[in-house]
Amino acid sequence: MKYKFTEDIVIGLEIHAQLNTHTKLFCGCPAHGDETPNTRTCPTCLGMPGSKPALNKTALRFAIKLALALGCEISSKLIFSRKSYFYPDMAKNYQISQYELPLGINGKLILNNGKEIGITRVHMEEDPASLVHPAGMGASSYVLVDYNRSGNPLCEIVTEPAMNSPEEAREFMKQLISVLKYLKIFDTDTCIIKADANVSIKQKEYKRVEIKNITGFKEIERALKYEVERQKNEEVANETRAWDADKGATFTLRKKETEEEYGYIIEPDLAVEEISKEMLEEAKKEMPELAHEKAMRFVEEHKIRKEDALIIAQEKELAELFEKAVKEINPALAVVWIRHELNRVLNYNKKTLEDVKLDEKEMLKLLRLVEKKIITDRVAQKILEQLAEKKIDVEKYVEENNLKAVSDAGAIEKYCKEAVEECKTAVEDYKKGNEKAFNSIVGAVMKKSRGAASPAEVQKILKEMMK
Amino acid sequence: MKSLHEINGEYNCFNTIQEYKEKTEGALKGVKISVKDCICVKGMESTAGSAILKGYRPLFNATAVQKLLDEGAVIIGKTAQDAFGFGSFSINTGKGFKQPLNPIDKTRVTGGSSGGSACITKLADFSHIALAESTGGSIACPASYCGVIGLTPTYGRVSRYGLIDYANSLDKIGVMAKTVIECAKALEIIAGKDKKDQTTADAPVEKYTSFPGKGVKGIRIGIIKESIQDGVDKDVKEKFLKTAEFLKSKGAIVEEVTLPVTFKHALPVYYIIAMSEASTNLAKYCGMRYGRDEKIEGSFNEYFAKVRSKCFDDETKRRIMLGTFARMSGFRDAYYIKSAKIRTLIINEYKNLFKKYDVLISPSMPNTAPKTEEVKKLTPIQNYMMDILTVGPNLAGLPHISVPVGAGLPTGFMIIADHFDEGIMLQVAYEI
Amino acid sequence: MKIDKQLVREIAKTARIELNDDEIAKFEKEMNNILEAFSKICAVKTDNVEMSIHPIKLGSALREDRKEKCLTQEEALSLTNNKKEGYFTGPRAV
Repeated sequence: MKYKFTEDIVIGLEIHAQLNTHTKLFCGCPAHGDETPNTRTCPTCLGMPGSKPALNKTALRFAIKLALALGCEISSKLIFSRKSYFYPDMAKNYQISQYELPLGINGKLILNNGKEIGITRVHMEEDPASLVHPAGMGASSYVLVDYNRSGNPLCEIVTEPAMNSPEEAREFMKQLISVLKYLKIFDTDTCIIKADANVSIKQKEYKRVEIKNITGFKEIERALKYEVERQKNEEVANETRAWDADKGATFTLRKKETEEEYGYIIEPDLAVEEISKEMLEEAKKEMPELAHEKAMRFVEEHKIRKEDALIIAQEKELAELFEKAVKEINPALAVVWIRHELNRVLNYNKKTLEDVKLDEKEMLKLLRLVEKKIITDRVAQKILEQLAEKKIDVEKYVEENNLKAVSDAGAIEKYCKEAVEECKTAVEDYKKGNEKAFNSIVGAVMKKSRGAASPAEVQKILKEMMK
Repeated sequence: MKSLHEINGEYNCFNTIQEYKEKTEGALKGVKISVKDCICVKGMESTAGSAILKGYRPLFNATAVQKLLDEGAVIIGKTAQDAFGFGSFSINTGKGFKQPLNPIDKTRVTGGSSGGSACITKLADFSHIALAESTGGSIACPASYCGVIGLTPTYGRVSRYGLIDYANSLDKIGVMAKTVIECAKALEIIAGKDKKDQTTADAPVEKYTSFPGKGVKGIRIGIIKESIQDGVDKDVKEKFLKTAEFLKSKGAIVEEVTLPVTFKHALPVYYIIAMSEASTNLAKYCGMRYGRDEKIEGSFNEYFAKVRSKCFDDETKRRIMLGTFARMSGFRDAYYIKSAKIRTLIINEYKNLFKKYDVLISPSMPNTAPKTEEVKKLTPIQNYMMDILTVGPNLAGLPHISVPVGAGLPTGFMIIADHFDEGIMLQVAYEI
Repeated sequence: MKIDKQLVREIAKTARIELNDDEIAKFEKEMNNILEAFSKICAVKTDNVEMSIHPIKLGSALREDRKEKCLTQEEALSLTNNKKEGYFTGPRAV
């Protein structure tokens, strides 16, 4: 297909997401579990002569849900193909995939900024085995092969070359993972998501480079940033490269002189299944509310800003926390603390909410205390930083450390008087017109109150005092 | 009474012979089963007749094998065949394998690819059934040349789980025996849906043994016109027509029918589809995990090519090459896709006749078993042409049975029925 | 459709089969003979004809997502000598 590009950077992704089924795509071996090599295999996933594939019903259901969630047109028949190529990780030297008729075509995924990324196709295929290179990829004289992964169910999602920056590609991956999690067809603990990326830049006449096997969405941005820079500064050839996450660089795998000869035939060991209207209706009924819908509902029901709603809704765990919170506290406050403060802490630690396993009950207690102004924002921030690392009993912590907001005017006045007395230079500077000096006096008061005084109150009293 | 080893020493019907212990229960107790070497028997070397699978001892039984064992049968050995089923004479045995010899005349071929099966079926003077396989005629052909009964069921009637693939949309496990009843009995046992093979049919398994004996009165039989024209030996034609007359005399209604599209195109269509599928099936044989291997050295391309080139015989290489070509981009539409479409036309042609006729008949092979010397002189294309009478029903997945007729060198009388109509086919076969 | 030596080499490479020059010449001749005999199929009209993937209509056949007994590591590795520390060994990937 011929595209006419105008942007500086053009990126297309081919993502392989493992479906969270109990068993592999074509046999009853467990899809997760014992990591000891070659302990989850059978004649089928080992490609032994005489074995035959048997399609997993749940994998099909999951794939249909994904294709629907991505807005694809679903094929009326399920047809698998044999994609023939030789490699040491291939149990049969052909992969059962879909070529003639992918499960879904012409879909799209909308990023938070509203940009639509077209999805060319969604189809099902099996995973090859895993290779271990005993002395590193270039240097080993042989490979070690583990067939535990062989036959795992994958969904391949191919995008249009519609992303124009590494950040945008990362955003896309985040959105896709959000969809996968909402659909409950992907488990970040046990399932793998990998991407191949096609990258071209205007500067080099859009010569296309394929980067293979980038694992996880965090690596995507890294790999693409590297590759774009590399293309700007080096000779660019049409080739296939691999991403080395340890070295932080891409390297040449093979030159792309010709297209791979896959010699596709229709898989004759599987029946052609009908995908009936009834099947699709069933699947549609089971569809949960996805991020975009949820965000719009938040905007309507809770009157929060669209931008905030989209960020919260994108991450399933964040959305669930938000929905619990708004049952008892003011949505605007919930937005501040969940969309902004919590995310700030998480980003600082380079973690997601799922990584951290925040204690929800304690978090809600914290928000209640903030709303009732029992603790100040400052105190709450500090407690939140703690909560993101370990479970603490919020109410007990506040009691033990005497962190209740000091709203008692008498106490604040006392601190203010003391501060004014102690910070004579600052007071003079302020009276001369130096605003900055005022802040240091406020700081002194806050220190005396261990952050528990309401900053607004403090400022009001000080200003009165120093008139 | 010669021992199996003695018979094998003379005729090479087995690649492996095994000791067995008689069982005391089951519908098949006392029956000995020989299994074509492409059908997996747990723990028994199963090579599909090819050097590349020497040493492969499957970790599982084929479903058909298991069903026979569950009914008290015992397995006596794995029979010789053309490597992977690639042949019509069993002379394309793999490197290091011996050619099975015709039980009637050792200078002649057994037919193929289930040559060893037909050979031992003829020679056995004990209760014996051969479990064999047909892709383009590999049961009917050797049955015809060796003078035994060969039954190929409807595609999907018997599970292919445990069958080492030649062509997955064409392979069928079937049986050979000296009598129609034995074939019917075996079919009852091995037929049926298998969740391990998703191409097995839902159609219920009938009591096939109840059909023989019902006679042929009123049965509508179509003689395939093209099968008795030029290219068929005079001798074969005579015996065939005599048998057809006999059936008529027993009350059958016999008329001439025609299958023009099938006889013009079934041969190339069969070969193109079969070789396309076969070339993908054989890709897994590369010296990893089972079978023959080499010392691991070189890149995977070098290693794979080395093992394959060393172990594959000529005919195997030829079919892999042709099959790879037929599905390469640029040629795929003209060969693989085109053939699959013409296959539909051929199936329709048969289905139309079955609206009016209960069974169709033709000779199984255009000749009697040729001499080995003569066969060796044939070019590849001349080899392929020998399948002219069997590729049609095989391509259409129709059940067919070959029954020996006449005296002298054996010739086969082939009865073809509609999908899942094995009953009527056995009914007619029994009368011969 | 005529096949030349170059195409024969390409096909052999795709199929991972090593052929020497004599074999290439032999296959060139044989394959051309065979394809010529098969060439009549090009003339058959197949517009609006569906491909037959199987010769019979198959009903739905889907497997429940339930774990089944798998092989032990020992069983899986039992059919080859090319193994090491629980892995299969194979030729290098580059």
